[in-house]
Amino acid sequence: MADRDLRDRWHAVADRFSDPRLTIAGREIRVLGREKTIILAVVIQLFVAAFAGFLVVGLVSLYDPGSVDGYQIDAAVTGDATNEMLAAIDDRPAIDGTRYATTSDAYADFQDGTVNAVFQTTRVDDRIQVVMTAPDGSIETTLVVSEGQEALRALERNLRAERADSLSNPPLPLPPDTGGNPYYDFTYTILLPLLLFLPVFISGSITVDSLTAEREQGTLELLRVAPVTMIDIVDGKSAAMIAIAPIQAVAWMGLLSLNGVAVANIGWLVALVAAVTAIVVALSVAVSLLAPDRRSAQLLFSVGILLFFAGATLLPGGPANTAARLAIDSATLSTRLVVLIYGGVGVAAVGAVRRLATRIDPNRL
Amino acid sequence: MTRVDRLRTRLTTAGRRLRRIARIARWEFGQSTSSYNRRTLAVIAVLVVVVASVGTSAVALGVASPSPNTDIYRVGVADNSPYNAVIDDHASLTARPPDRTALATGEIDLLIGGVRQPAAGPGPRSPTLLVEPADGEKGDAALTAFRSAVQSYNDRAMALEPNRTAAYPVVVELQYIPQSTLGPAAPTNAGNLTGDDAAADNADDSDGTDTDANDTDTNGTTSDADGGTADGGGDNTTGTDRTEGDAPPVADGGGGSLLDRALFGGGTSGSPAEIQPPFPFGSLLLAFLFLVPMNFVIQSYGSSVLNERISRRGELLLVAPVERLDIVAGKTLPYAAIAVAVTAVIAAAVGGGLLSVAAVVPIALTFLAATFLGAMFARSFKELTFVTITITVFLTSYVFIPSIFTNVTPIALISPLTLVVMELQGEAVSLGSYLFSTGPFYTSTAVLFLLGTGVYREEDMFSQKPVPLKFLDALDARLSGVRSVGVLTALFLPFVFIAELLAIAVLFVLPIEVSIPLLLVVIAAVEEVAKSIHIFAGFESDRFDRSVPTALLLGAASGVGFFVAEKFTAVAQLVGLPDLQLGQAALQPAGIGIAPSTTLLLLAGPLVLHTVTAGVSALGARTRLRWYLVSLVAATAIHAAYNLGVVTLYG
Repeated sequence: MADRDLRDRWHAVADRFSDPRLTIAGREIRVLGREKTIILAVVIQLFVAAFAGFLVVGLVSLYDPGSVDGYQIDAAVTGDATNEMLAAIDDRPAIDGTRYATTSDAYADFQDGTVNAVFQTTRVDDRIQVVMTAPDGSIETTLVVSEGQEALRALERNLRAERADSLSNPPLPLPPDTGGNPYYDFTYTILLPLLLFLPVFISGSITVDSLTAEREQGTLELLRVAPVTMIDIVDGKSAAMIAIAPIQAVAWMGLLSLNGVAVANIGWLVALVAAVTAIVVALSVAVSLLAPDRRSAQLLFSVGILLFFAGATLLPGGPANTAARLAIDSATLSTRLVVLIYGGVGVAAVGAVRRLATRIDPNRL
Repeated sequence: MTRVDRLRTRLTTAGRRLRRIARIARWEFGQSTSSYNRRTLAVIAVLVVVVASVGTSAVALGVASPSPNTDIYRVGVADNSPYNAVIDDHASLTARPPDRTALATGEIDLLIGGVRQPAAGPGPRSPTLLVEPADGEKGDAALTAFRSAVQSYNDRAMALEPNRTAAYPVVVELQYIPQSTLGPAAPTNAGNLTGDDAAADNADDSDGTDTDANDTDTNGTTSDADGGTADGGGDNTTGTDRTEGDAPPVADGGGGSLLDRALFGGGTSGSPAEIQPPFPFGSLLLAFLFLVPMNFVIQSYGSSVLNERISRRGELLLVAPVERLDIVAGKTLPYAAIAVAVTAVIAAAVGGGLLSVAAVVPIALTFLAATFLGAMFARSFKELTFVTITITVFLTSYVFIPSIFTNVTPIALISPLTLVVMELQGEAVSLGSYLFSTGPFYTSTAVLFLLGTGVYREEDMFSQKPVPLKFLDALDARLSGVRSVGVLTALFLPFVFIAELLAIAVLFVLPIEVSIPLLLVVIAAVEEVAKSIHIFAGFESDRFDRSVPTALLLGAASGVGFFVAEKFTAVAQLVGLPDLQLGQAALQPAGIGIAPSTTLLLLAGPLVLHTVTAGVSALGARTRLRWYLVSLVAATAIHAAYNLGVVTLYG
């Protein structure tokens, strides 16, 4: 029975170092694991991430011709300003312009699908009027319109440059278009903050449920005979909840990296998530200790967290922007300072809540 | 008893029931408001005031940075450069000292250099700014962001120019014309282009049922460019009304398909900058606002229902002389009313009209129905929290993400939120598309409430079981005989529809060679589960004897129920979904979008298929979960093979 022996010895060691707070934290996490619903929640988050990934790919391929390899728009150009229009189209690598002598030929080819767009040009007192025709109801429509618009803007720029003398403030020269991804920041500024702070919200919500459920079922009264104090309970539950949010955050960042999204400053991001979770969990503990019942506690928590994020977003260095700047590797000293401030606020909030817990009489809850 | 008497009795009964429902609703309302006591509300008010004042003072002091992409791209630019103004105006850009080593080390993402004047020969005819982006995607993205910032800066500068001709030398009209998709079209006469083409398109519709009458219609032709004055919307022309060759050159957005109208949401005339490739970003954000308050409503509602179960107060209600349905209706009414009121307020605030409310209300009802069922299943408040979050996340992404593609593809119409986006963009919405996007929501609401009411009884409300078992119980509560199996299968159809549309939306971006086979398998699996899960529930609770003939009988009933209900998916034709290749793959095996002229075999095909596969899975469901899963896989394989056959044969 060496096995039994070893286990006993392990228990003895564990007992020596055991702390009621750790026991409570461990139990909290085990209960979450047993109620399989947390797995459901993670699956759902995964679903969102996958959907959002599809979304980015979809948006980019719909709006950015550069991402579709070898995609070429063929445009027919007719009318009396054909030369200027063709010169402008030359600027855009994704469009090929062809001169058409007659409008009807151009539209016939458009009908056949030989060309994807028609630019019909007319000179009208010093201006060039262009009727641009794009295919209706096709997946390519957006692509054709946005590329066509770029060609027209090139035409406009060329004409403005010719007439710069008549302008009081000539337009600033544009840099060349290298086809960078205009949705590059979407992943960092929307998706990543969403994935990082959703677990924070879940943690806070579970804390409220867990504490108020103990209260409403009267189990806190058992404290009178148990060798734990109110502080131990608050500590244990908060520790468990503050721990699971950064773990989920790390998992998300790993998943994003697997998808080819480079995430910088992972250590700082984890610290940020932990700090914000500490603040939110402290808020939820305070709410569950002070609110008269569960429903009020949940309402106060929801409103409180919404206001916290709204208010924090308005201030410079809001959590979403801080996370985005860290992840996209544009963080400055002040960004890191902001993370430290969140950490400080988190520690202060947890301390304040612990003081609150000592003053609360569990028997009167 | 005369007919009048009978009518009167029925009216009195209905009146009594309504009064009862109203009484329960009042009670529920009073209870939930009293639990939010004055102190709670006062604390919330104080919080709102504090955050609002912090926010306004931040805005007033000019330190507010509400945009999440603030300062994410660092641009190296000299202090005296005119481009500093551009960078200041654009939230995502921030100015740094121009330093080439910083570019190499990744301290800055973009370095701004000098200006190159246009040279003779090929190349741009206007001056170009020389820039150096950092290596990698981020540098390119920074350049793109900077370029669009310069462009919008120039647009603002040009708006102030006194010389309008020099500032706006180009005037653009944008028009959309359908291309013939079936090879070279017959007409080549541009002068009479639209009418002919539409006719040709219709003739090419081999199925004869005019699924896309609206699609082939375009207002206006293109032969003359004498300055198109758009004659304003409002004329809701139908597919039969076609303008002649001498119509104004630019379509006016009044007629045409939904997609036409959607596309006209963007600007269609003006300077090149004013043309909008159709992307409804602003409307999309506003539409999202409608979803935010739902979370609060369902949170409160779910707690109330679960509280009834945990504190066993529901027992008192159950013994009262009130029907279960009335209790549920009464408890739900206040929350539904709040949801409608909040939706109306938001609609008024963001400039939406009656359509927005009519589109969001079914979403709200589905939120409530799903929460009700979740609260009937959940064992604890913690579990309820997860159920609520699941519902929120699933429904939010289901309604929000497709609406992003509002202007791009008819798939977007699977979400009622698309209707809101369209209304906010000032587009008309047809009754067909309203039914298509909200129909599944209305029917799923009804079915979810029906299932939930089925377990609104003592033995289920006050017992603790895992969620899957409760789910089987809820299904079993709806079963009575063979016929009820078929009815229940038919009732599942909205969920099948939602799941299939979701699959289309998710698989939409994949290449068509991958997405179609994948879609066929997913659809087969979804349909097989819907046809057999309640049979499994019935066997598990020993409602049916586990003999082979019974299983086959139940399978046949389920298959027939599904076959009949499936015919209702024909509503998808109203929005032209079958025109899409993916839509065809999803709908064709059901016999939708196939001409009646095709053989009887094809019409009978789905019926035979559904009865056979439902029979297979019912046989497996007789014994154990493991065998049920095995037979489910077999049924899915048969079904997918059939689907693939139909699609390759007629695709």
